[in-house]
Order: sequence, then C-alpha cells, then structure tokens
Amino acid sequence: MSVTSIFFQTLIGGIGIGSLYALVALGYSMTFRSMGLVNFAQGSIYMVGTYFGIIWYQGMVMNLHVPYAAAFLIGLLCNALLGIVLERIFRPLAKLDLMLMLLATIGLGFILDNLFTIIFGATGFAVNSPLPNTPWIIFGVRVLPQMALLIGVSFSLMIGNQLFLSRTKWGRAMRASAVDYEIARAMGIPTNRMNALALSIGCMMSAAAGILAAPIVYVSPSMGVAVGLKGFAAAILGGLGSVPGAIAGGLVYGVLEALSAGYISSTWTQAIAYIVMVVVLMVKPSGIVGEITVEKV
Amino acid sequence: MRKITRILRWILILAVACLMLVLPWIAQNRYQVHIANNIGIWLLLSLGLNIAMGYAGQYNLALGALWGVGAYTAALLQTRLGVPFWINLPLSIIAAAVIAAFVGLPSFKVRSHYLALVTIALGEAMNLVLVNEVPITGGADGIGHIQMPNFFGFPINNDERYYYIILIMVILGYVLGRQIVSHRIGRAFRALRDDFQAARAMGVNTGFYQILAFAISGAYAGAAGALYAQLNTYISPDIFTFNSALIVLTMILVGGMGSLPGSIVGTVLLLVLNEYLQVFQRWQLVGYGIAIIVVVLFLPGGVVELARKFGNFRRRWLAGLSKGKSDAEAG
Repeated sequence: MSVTSIFFQTLIGGIGIGSLYALVALGYSMTFRSMGLVNFAQGSIYMVGTYFGIIWYQGMVMNLHVPYAAAFLIGLLCNALLGIVLERIFRPLAKLDLMLMLLATIGLGFILDNLFTIIFGATGFAVNSPLPNTPWIIFGVRVLPQMALLIGVSFSLMIGNQLFLSRTKWGRAMRASAVDYEIARAMGIPTNRMNALALSIGCMMSAAAGILAAPIVYVSPSMGVAVGLKGFAAAILGGLGSVPGAIAGGLVYGVLEALSAGYISSTWTQAIAYIVMVVVLMVKPSGIVGEITVEKV
Repeated sequence: MRKITRILRWILILAVACLMLVLPWIAQNRYQVHIANNIGIWLLLSLGLNIAMGYAGQYNLALGALWGVGAYTAALLQTRLGVPFWINLPLSIIAAAVIAAFVGLPSFKVRSHYLALVTIALGEAMNLVLVNEVPITGGADGIGHIQMPNFFGFPINNDERYYYIILIMVILGYVLGRQIVSHRIGRAFRALRDDFQAARAMGVNTGFYQILAFAISGAYAGAAGALYAQLNTYISPDIFTFNSALIVLTMILVGGMGSLPGSIVGTVLLLVLNEYLQVFQRWQLVGYGIAIIVVVLFLPGGVVELARKFGNFRRRWLAGLSKGKSDAEAG
C-alpha cells in the first residue's frame, strides 16, 4: 500500500467515525440552541436509540427479524417520541443554573443507562452487518459497505436537517424560537412545541448514528459514555448551538482521532484528541466555525 | 431562648465528637469502619471541590484525576523509594496542588461550559497517562503491595487504627476550609464567583485567586489520594476518572453548593444510603438518578437549604408566638 492510500484509508475511517460524532453533536446543538440547555444525557440517548432500533433487527422482541431499514425507522421514531417526553422534563430545567442543569441531565442519563442495563443486561452483543462484509476497493482504498452506508446516510440526514431548518416554515419557526423565545411567542409560534421538535430531531440523529454504527461497534448499555463525551467535544469544537458547527466539529474530531491513531500512537489517540480540543478552546472559544452562539462572559 | 439553643448546639457537637471518637469500638464489624474510612476520603474530595466550585465558581472536573495524582504520588514514593506515610502525604498534597494549578490555567481564557469541558478533557488525558505509562504507573493493573503506615514502630495496619488518621485529616481539612472561606481568601472567592468584572474592578487579583481555588481543591484531592492508596494498599486507574468527579459533584449538590456543612451532609448521606440500598442493585442506581433530578428541581440549594428554610420557619413561628402572647397581654 502506498503512502497516499494509507492516508486516505485513515481519512475514510476518520470521516466515518466523525459522521457518527457529528450526528451526536447535532443532538447537543439542537437542544442547546432551542432550550439553552446542555444535555449530558445525549450519550445515553444515543445508546437508547440504538437499542430501540437494533432489538427489532436482532430479533430480540418476539423473535421478529425486521429488515435493517425498517428497524432503523422504528428506532428513529421511538427516539423522536423520547425527544418529546424529554422536552417536557427539561422545560423547568432551562431556567436553572448551569451546574444544576448539568447535574439533572446527568441524572437522567444515569436513569436511562441503568434501566437499559436492567432490561438487557450489562454485557453487550455484536450486530451482524446487513451489508456484505467484504470491503469495496475504490482507488486502492478499502471501504466497508457498512462504513459507506454510515457516511452516506449521515450526510444525507445532516443535509436534510439543514434544508429543513433553512427552507421550511417549521424550520424558520424553530430558528425564530431559538433566537428569541419571547418574540417568537408573541408572533404566535408555539415555542414549546418547536423545542419539542428540535429535541426530537436531535434524538433522531443520535438514534440514526447508533443504529448505523451498531454493526461496526459493539452494542452495550455503556456504549454511550465515550460517544457522549466526544459528541459534546465535537459540538463545542464547532461552536455549541451551531448546526453546521456540530457537523464540522464532529468530522474534524473524528479525522483528528483517526490520524493521531494512524500516525502518532494508537494508545495516545484519545489523549491527543482531548489536548487538541483544549487548545482549540483556548485559542478560539467560539469554535472552528466561528458562529457566536454562546453569550460571552 | 438563645442561650438554650447555644447549649443544645454544644451538646450536639460534643455528642457527634464522642460518637466519632468511639466509632471503631461501637461498630458491629470491620466493614462498617471501612465504610467510615471511605466516607472520610470522599469528604476530603467534596470539601475541596466545594471550596473551588461552591465558593469560587471554578469548575474543577479534573478532580478524579487529581485524586489519582495524590494516590499515585504516595504509592510510587512508598513502593519505589520507601518514603514513609508522614512524608509522602504532604508530598502528594503538594504534587496534586501543583498539577491542579496547571489544570486551572485555562480558566484565564475560558469560563462556564467551556471550563467544565476543558477540565474534563484534561482530567481524562491525565487518566490516560496513568493507563498508558505502564513502566511507571503499572498501567491498567495499577500498583499493589502498598504498605499501610507505621507510627514510630506502632503499625497502623487495620481499618480501626487507620480511622483515626482519616478522622484527624478530615477535621483538619474542615477547619482549614472554614478558615479559608470565612476570611480574606473566601471573600475574594465569592466576589470572583458572583461578579468577575466587579471583583476585578475592586482590585481582587482574579487570576491569582482562580489558580488558588484550583490548587486548594487539588490539595484536598491529593490528601484524599494518599489516604486512599495507603488504606486500600492497591490502586488502579479506573476509579480516578471523570465519573468520580461527578459523584463528588452530586454529593455537593445534594448537600448544598457553597456550604462546607453541605459537603459533609451530602457525602455522608449518599454513601450511607448507598450501603442501605445495595440490595436493590441496579434499581438503586435508577433511584439515585431520580433523586438527583428531584433535588435539582425542588431543592436546588441542597439539604442545607432545607435546614435553613426550616430554621427560618421556626424563627418566624417563635416570633409569631411571642407577638401573639404580647397581643394577648395588651388585649
């Protein structure tokens, strides 16, 4: 393998894992921009969404083996409902101090993690890929079909979300209520419903990430911990609350992780990713996209 | 009336002091003493974090890793160089405080969510150093065969004897914390927390106090680490993570943010409850999550706030009572 193809191989891996982080980061950003709340349960929501979809695909419910695409949709739908429930729980939290908010959402994550451990057991399972396991070779770069599916579907979802926010009436209403809650309300926008929609979208994105990545990673009730932290890092890297920022942040974080694993040292990957994140925050706290979404102190 | 209250308070303090002194004898088994020791270690952590976070508003979520710095410093000094407890304890405190000061450096540039994230990231990176630097730290296997301390030939080799060391450290930590928060430094901390710009305008050296807040929480964590390492005689990196910092944070919030007694109440409450609820296994953790949400939503000041409210209520009730009496007399 030539040097360039190794580089592109690493890059593809990074983009794959990066689109996973980007979807989770979108969950953080959608919640933050609509409710001004950092939802530290996002990692657990990602895990819950994965289970909601994968249990149907794996035949864990009444031995039904639902096709992958249908399981994917079921997972998304269940998590969308979860988002609506969450909005109701979070509504009184949005007015609270940052630390209290953080703790309440962590408490929620704790509940979800442990409930799913009780229901499904602490040990996880591997998921069979719905697509063949032989990699495609494109210009000397080996790409797993599942990885291609992950990247393709993630990108379509992210573009779809962006179009929805910018082009449709509902999207405009959501942005309006995110920018100025009071005025949006005065203009007759049902802001609470818009927040519920934003949270639903965020939860759906996390579920999509989990179900798409399930055949590549291992599914267990603790799968959301690391992804939740990295998704948050990605969201902050791109500028918390910014939708394009979350996508850029996720991709940059994923690529960074893959490159440092490939070229520097695989044991230090995570540490390097953390340090780079700290440096970015110090140098440019508004994130790499530079959209100012957080009130400066 | 006030005199009686004061006498009652002293009786209460004396009773608690006596109880603490004789606890190893009245405990039914060694396990209970072990839990008491554990509570002491977590108390040091939560006192330190409460000073940094509750008083100075500096989010130090690298606390778990700083605890690890203390534990590893003590363990390495002891197993490799044979440095006794009495010397490795202060050295661990210094090491953790210095590293905490470095963790605090980003607080010059970033605040709130960002500072929380930066300290989480630095803490996790430090934990990875503990896991990956196998030749020094023993990697994921940790360090074993740590000796318990020896007091001039008198071996402190069980939980009952070790209990008194922890008790002394906790009392020292509490008294010192009291001194810190109720004097000049404490005033500067509160000014920093409530209004950064105003504190600066009033001539508070904000940078110095920010770093000091981090260093203080680090010092407490260092002491907790050294005590932990030599109590359990074995350490591994899996406990020195962000999760531990979160547990401490929960303790402070349940007890009362910005209140040292709150730290004590929260820590003791959570750890004792933890023992009683073990039978429920996982459901216990679910209940724990629900409890956190309930506290945050309905009691944001923690248990201490509840006590204060009750005190106010009683005072008003007493005032009302005496007023009613005087009214009756006048009538």
